[in-house]
Amino acid sequence: MDIGRPQRIIEIEPVTLPLPSPDLPAYEPTTEPAPAPTPDPTPVEPVDP
Amino acid sequence: MTTASALRSLEATTGIEPIVAWRTWALTGHRDGSDLLLRPVAGRSRPWRPMQVTEAGCKHTRLHASPSLECTCGLHGTHGLDLLRRTRCPAVLGRVALWGRVIEHDHGYRAQYAYPQVVTLICQFCFWQWGSHAARPDIVGWFARDALVPLCWGHLELAQRYGMEPRRLLPAHEVDLALRETYAVDQLVHW
Repeated sequence: MDIGRPQRIIEIEPVTLPLPSPDLPAYEPTTEPAPAPTPDPTPVEPVDP
Repeated sequence: MTTASALRSLEATTGIEPIVAWRTWALTGHRDGSDLLLRPVAGRSRPWRPMQVTEAGCKHTRLHASPSLECTCGLHGTHGLDLLRRTRCPAVLGRVALWGRVIEHDHGYRAQYAYPQVVTLICQFCFWQWGSHAARPDIVGWFARDALVPLCWGHLELAQRYGMEPRRLLPAHEVDLALRETYAVDQLVHW
């Protein structure tokens, strides 16, 4: 493919690279233990026999 | 002034916006359409890796940085589409961002760094005959050495008649989508 004669030289330093960035962060499984369940503050109604 | 000295007298300007130009690629992948890779249509140069900047290299000499004024090396892009219709076996048409050291020519560019911006599959025979506006393929043929060749139904039939028999056929829209997902780029829709 002949693109002709050179006309000019351009030195381009983009502020941001024209490269896609990953949409989602990498999945990192947590190592912290799950929080303990909190007691239900609602009193339990007594059940009629 | 000789041609060489005239070339050397070209002064460099600077910029911060990448140049966007036209380009075609060949395409390879596995028989199931995975591991898609864009490759230069000419020669056996390195593939363009997904999510990585492609950097120009020169196989002729290690004595100059690429692109060099006195060589034809560099990552090529063109001002217009017509010139690309003469390229050998194009499978993918798109727009490419070029930056770093860029040499502008009469009809295109040679650059140090590049990454595709928008792409679409093309039937190479339609592209040669009628141009890009009527080159939408229906299927992608999987051939020897993992070559993937997008074709319309008419040109698939013609290719088979002349002994160009794909080992497997893949739906073009699925390969097109997988290619865009692989490189995280948009589809070339209007041009």
